[in-house]
Amino acid sequence: MPKKEMPSGALGLLILRVLHSGPLHGYAIAQRIHTLSAEVLHIEEGALYPALQKLLLKGWARSEWGISETNRKVRFYRLTPAGRKQLDSELADYRRVHEAIDAVLRTA
Amino acid sequence: MGYFFRRLRYLWNRDRLERELSDEMEFHREMAAREGRSNFGNALQMREASRESWGWTWLDRLQQDLRYAMRVLWRAPGFTLAAVLMLAIGIGVNVAVFGFFDLLVLRPLNVRDPGTLLRFHRRSPESYAYALPYPEASFFRDHSQTLSAVLLLNWSRVAIEGEDKHVEAHFVTADSFRELGGTAILGRTLLPGRDDTAGAEPAVVLSNGFWQRHFGADPTVVGRTIRINGKPAVVAGVAAPDYNGLSMSVPAFWADLGQQPYFAEGSHLLTDFSVESPGVQMFGRLRPGTSPYAAEAELRSLAAELRRQSPKGIWEKEALPSQPAGYATGLLSGNRRGSGSEAASELYVVFGLTGALGLLILAVACANLGSLLLARGVAREREIAIRLAVGAGSGRLVRQLFTESLLLALLGSAAGTGLGYVVLRSLMVVSEAPAWLNAAPDWRVTLFAAGAGIAASLVFGLMPSLQVARRRHHSSTMRQFLIGAQVAASCVLLIVAGLLGRALDRALSAHPGFDYERVIAIQPGLGEHGYTPAKSRAYLDTLQVRVRALPGVQATSLVQVAPLGRGNISAKVVTDGRAMSVMLNHVDQEFLSLMRIPLARGRNLERGDTRAVVVSESLARMMWPGQDPLGKRFPLGDDFTVVGVAGNARMMKMEDSDAVEAYLPIEAGDLPGLAMLVRTAGSVEDLARQAATAARQLDPGTFPEVQLLKNGMRRKQENAQAAALAVSAMGGIAHLLACLGIVGVVSYAVSQRTKEIGIRMALGAKPGHVLRVVLQRLSLPVAVGLVLGIGGAAALSQVLRQQLFGISNLDPFTYIGAVGVFAVTAAVAALVPARRALRIDPLRALRWE
Repeated sequence: MPKKEMPSGALGLLILRVLHSGPLHGYAIAQRIHTLSAEVLHIEEGALYPALQKLLLKGWARSEWGISETNRKVRFYRLTPAGRKQLDSELADYRRVHEAIDAVLRTA
Repeated sequence: MGYFFRRLRYLWNRDRLERELSDEMEFHREMAAREGRSNFGNALQMREASRESWGWTWLDRLQQDLRYAMRVLWRAPGFTLAAVLMLAIGIGVNVAVFGFFDLLVLRPLNVRDPGTLLRFHRRSPESYAYALPYPEASFFRDHSQTLSAVLLLNWSRVAIEGEDKHVEAHFVTADSFRELGGTAILGRTLLPGRDDTAGAEPAVVLSNGFWQRHFGADPTVVGRTIRINGKPAVVAGVAAPDYNGLSMSVPAFWADLGQQPYFAEGSHLLTDFSVESPGVQMFGRLRPGTSPYAAEAELRSLAAELRRQSPKGIWEKEALPSQPAGYATGLLSGNRRGSGSEAASELYVVFGLTGALGLLILAVACANLGSLLLARGVAREREIAIRLAVGAGSGRLVRQLFTESLLLALLGSAAGTGLGYVVLRSLMVVSEAPAWLNAAPDWRVTLFAAGAGIAASLVFGLMPSLQVARRRHHSSTMRQFLIGAQVAASCVLLIVAGLLGRALDRALSAHPGFDYERVIAIQPGLGEHGYTPAKSRAYLDTLQVRVRALPGVQATSLVQVAPLGRGNISAKVVTDGRAMSVMLNHVDQEFLSLMRIPLARGRNLERGDTRAVVVSESLARMMWPGQDPLGKRFPLGDDFTVVGVAGNARMMKMEDSDAVEAYLPIEAGDLPGLAMLVRTAGSVEDLARQAATAARQLDPGTFPEVQLLKNGMRRKQENAQAAALAVSAMGGIAHLLACLGIVGVVSYAVSQRTKEIGIRMALGAKPGHVLRVVLQRLSLPVAVGLVLGIGGAAALSQVLRQQLFGISNLDPFTYIGAVGVFAVTAAVAALVPARRALRIDPLRALRWE
């Protein structure tokens, strides 16, 4: 299976979307994106953690301590109401751009 | 907002958050390893990338740079010391100038709530006066609604037992202490309701300085009776050392204003409406919520109301403009009065000039330091090459080099603040400034010093950093510019110092146009003791007879303003559209011959003249160029006719060559204010003693002051000396710095071009040629700098014109002399290191890398 790098702006959107279904820790976020993308998208730590820090800083997510499946204390990320709003607006933006690109590709 | 606070929280909890982050990432790796995927990315770099999103990386870098800069400076103690010293001098001079400005203009006085205090003076379209007649001020005190308190102050000179000279007494409204927050360290202050009631026992509050000087700080002084002008008064208390009321001069004591006539026998102060009355200074405290404009408007209408009651006392259309009184500047106006509009304050001119000179010194220091940093860039070439090679961006490098400059600048600021304080403090001690003026730097001065340091680092540090980081520091344009700037700045300073030096020389040696060595002035102060013109006439006539009978006395004369004394009268005179400021004096017919002032044309003033005037030669030349001044009309309120022309004698303002004089006959109204000049063939000191006794015997109620004119002259000369000395010191410092800069640049040029010089010498170049090669790059910036410096000095010295004792501000000797001195010293400074080029051994130079 070939591993694709993420397009830059999309990572934030994906993390928001994945967190929408419930709080997760960092590794689980990467895993979830990996599986959901049928193992196409692989997220490096070097990109994931800066993106998560930015989410916290912007107030779109909060972190809380929890216990991992391997019984380790680990940080879980949970979407805030502001994060939900951000997800909605980013999704809308994404769809509009996506449709636009699609339209060009179909007719040109 | 939330974003900002979250960021701050990240800064606050950095260490914990970083630990958590690294923990989290470790967990990520464990999980990945468990699933058989290994990731060999650089963990540290990844952590850094995450951290960067917190947005505090710049702070880390700054910390890094500072730590590094400290190490670099610590390792080069010689360079650091030289740089900090140079900056300390440049900044220190400016801190001293600003500190003085702060003290006089910006810093509130040490009184309660200084911001709401105003000082009022009188103004009408024709006249202005800074003292108000007491009845007028008292009317305002009783009726003003916008002012919560009106404080009045009269200062008189009185004789006090046990002191040879007269001392200053401040007669104030009794509520002044309470209103200004003044306290007593012994006994009590003046109390309203006690000291200002009719029949109150005469009581005085001693100033702290006088108490220490006169009474040796005797703690039992309270309750003692002392004699002032021969009148007994009880010492009620001693004021705290930091209290001085609203005055720049420190009195011997304060007493209630109502008791002034008790001490000055016959004084009409409390009833005299005339502008000649010594009057009082009037201060007011604004009621909360009112503006100075409201107070001025109210006082204007009160004045109009008072004018209906006493039309003679109040001027037509009299207004009472206010100025802030809570600052030292508000108190500097003294009791000036005059006609027409007021001359602009010279204070700001002086500050502008000294500020400009101070900035020039700072500019020289900065230019010097800039060259030094460029030269250091050469020594650090390897270091910088390595840094660039391992991946430092040039922006990062500039930032780091600039941080070093900034650190230097802040060290310089700190040292400069200290130096500035020392300079200011010693200047204040030398000039006998009042002790309550505190020279210690306040927050404004500290801020100024830091600002000057940062501005300086931008000037001397930023360009060299850019050039060194881009490895362009070998280009000589920057260096030449720096040399040019130094030459120009120090040239200005040298010329101005030269001008003041010449002025001092003139003041000490040139003939002032009159002879003062064997003359004394007796000031009986008749007006202060309520003498009428007729009574004054009788007194002065008798005094004249008695003084003439003293041994050695050659002549006596009556004048309104004694030469070389404290005050002067000037008036603005307009003829044919030309306006000029004229120094006026009312004199009798003996005056010119007594002062040895020659009569050039026409006749002297004669007894019985009323509308005649004798003018000085320069006044005649300026007012009626190319015409015969005799018989001309001299408009001065009434018209006067010019009857004579006298030689120039700058008695009132010796330092101002533009000052011109006019002598008017004495009018009856002048009599109570006259002084008597006495010339002797013998000793003036003996004469002064005998004359004082004679005057004292005439009326024991008066306390005449006797002054030697030569003492007044000495005081003026000392002032000129101090100014010349201060500016010469500034010029000397700047000159020295500039010479050091030239030495540095030339020796750098020699070491840079060792190889080239070696080749030239191997090919047979003569020593003169070699020197020319080394120095050729220096000649252009020095020449341009000299031209700019001369131009700058010519412009700057314009404001000095009135202080130069008749030396032109474009005096060619000074300019040629200063440029000559500069050229010679600069040549020596350049030749000393340049001679090294001649000793270069061609063989070794060729191998030199």
